[in-house]
Amino acid sequence: MTERLASPSLSERKFPRILNRFSYGAVALVILAFVLAARPAASRPTNAPGKAVDSPGAPMKTYGSKNAPITLEVFSDFQCPSCRAFYEMTLRPMISDYVAAGKVYVVHRDFPLSMHRYGYQAARWANAAARIGEFQQIESALYDNQDAWAANGDIQKYVSSAMSPADFKRVEKLMEGCADQGTPAVKPVAAQTGHSCAEDAFIEQDRVLGNQIPIQATPTFVIYYKGKKFSAASGVVSWTILKQFFDQLLSQP
Amino acid sequence: MQKERAKVATILLIVGRLTLAAIFLFAGYAKLQPQAAMHWSSASVKTSLAMFAMQVDSYQMLPPAGVSFVAHTLPPFEIFLGLWLLSGIALPVSSVISTLLIAGFFSAMVRSYALHLGINCGCFGTPEQLGAKTLIRDGSLLALSLAVTIGAFVIRRRRGAGRFPEAAPAAMASQQTHG
Repeated sequence: MTERLASPSLSERKFPRILNRFSYGAVALVILAFVLAARPAASRPTNAPGKAVDSPGAPMKTYGSKNAPITLEVFSDFQCPSCRAFYEMTLRPMISDYVAAGKVYVVHRDFPLSMHRYGYQAARWANAAARIGEFQQIESALYDNQDAWAANGDIQKYVSSAMSPADFKRVEKLMEGCADQGTPAVKPVAAQTGHSCAEDAFIEQDRVLGNQIPIQATPTFVIYYKGKKFSAASGVVSWTILKQFFDQLLSQP
Repeated sequence: MQKERAKVATILLIVGRLTLAAIFLFAGYAKLQPQAAMHWSSASVKTSLAMFAMQVDSYQMLPPAGVSFVAHTLPPFEIFLGLWLLSGIALPVSSVISTLLIAGFFSAMVRSYALHLGINCGCFGTPEQLGAKTLIRDGSLLALSLAVTIGAFVIRRRRGAGRFPEAAPAAMASQQTHG
């Protein structure tokens, strides 16, 4: 077996040793890089606002106290199944727990997607309801009955059942000029047809904020804590895991 | 000619191994680094890991206890694996682990993409949407890891048979003993 071996040249014998030395050197360099990288992160510049941006004149689509240490800004589409799951599995228990305890302030942002036929219209109803202080009931009704109205577009039925007849009349009045014009995808119907719907301006305000992140899927949420903005997260996150993150934030001095 | 080819193969293996090592080191570091202009501290690391747990959870594959376990062990393990690959020690073992790990990531990503979960990848700590681009990138990484694994086994076998330069000193010693 050994007879088959040719006597190796000097360079061949040195080659693996050089490689080994290179490997040890690389390990040392990496450790050094980690030590250097562990400098205070505060020295790095950040342009991110430390609080959820207030939309002047926009209706209140919020839960809890604005003075809560944590703000959760949620961009969602009422017709998106993941948004419903996030609302029902995460936001609802959170609202009755950490929002009620004054730990979290939730801000809803509309980000209707073009793939959902009635998502934009649902957002209009939600904004109209928000203008008379009925947003929370409507959000709940829209998500709880998503399958029903998403099938036939009869959003009005579920909005009316979630509030008093007097309030519904007020909302209906605000919705004048907001008749469903089909699928307002990228632009609001007002821009496409010349019809005027006051709610479109509020949806657009939210959309502009969403595009700044930028949002690529719903639900997407951004967390703010004591003036610090954390990276946006997308998808359905369970309340158990989100709570662990909040507890970690709240445990900090 | 055969020696030259062996040399090229060895160099390619080293380049592949170091690339994998750098990717694992960066991936682990990115998940641990402080978020939102925080300072490096145990609290900032815990916050980053809790943030990563949300990304793991969004894949909707594990119960909360499993999510916490993965979120807290994966980033340090990625750094460990990166250093192991960098050292080149027991490369066939480290490359097999690397391939299995990346195959696991890739499967989870394909599943999430197929289910239209609309989540962030969570690969490198940044909010990067899981899509065709991230799938192609991780697929390429899987191919690279697989190539390094195959290369590591082939070279080890050939060294054992004395056809690669690194086996030469031992072979020479053996020749002297027998001669």
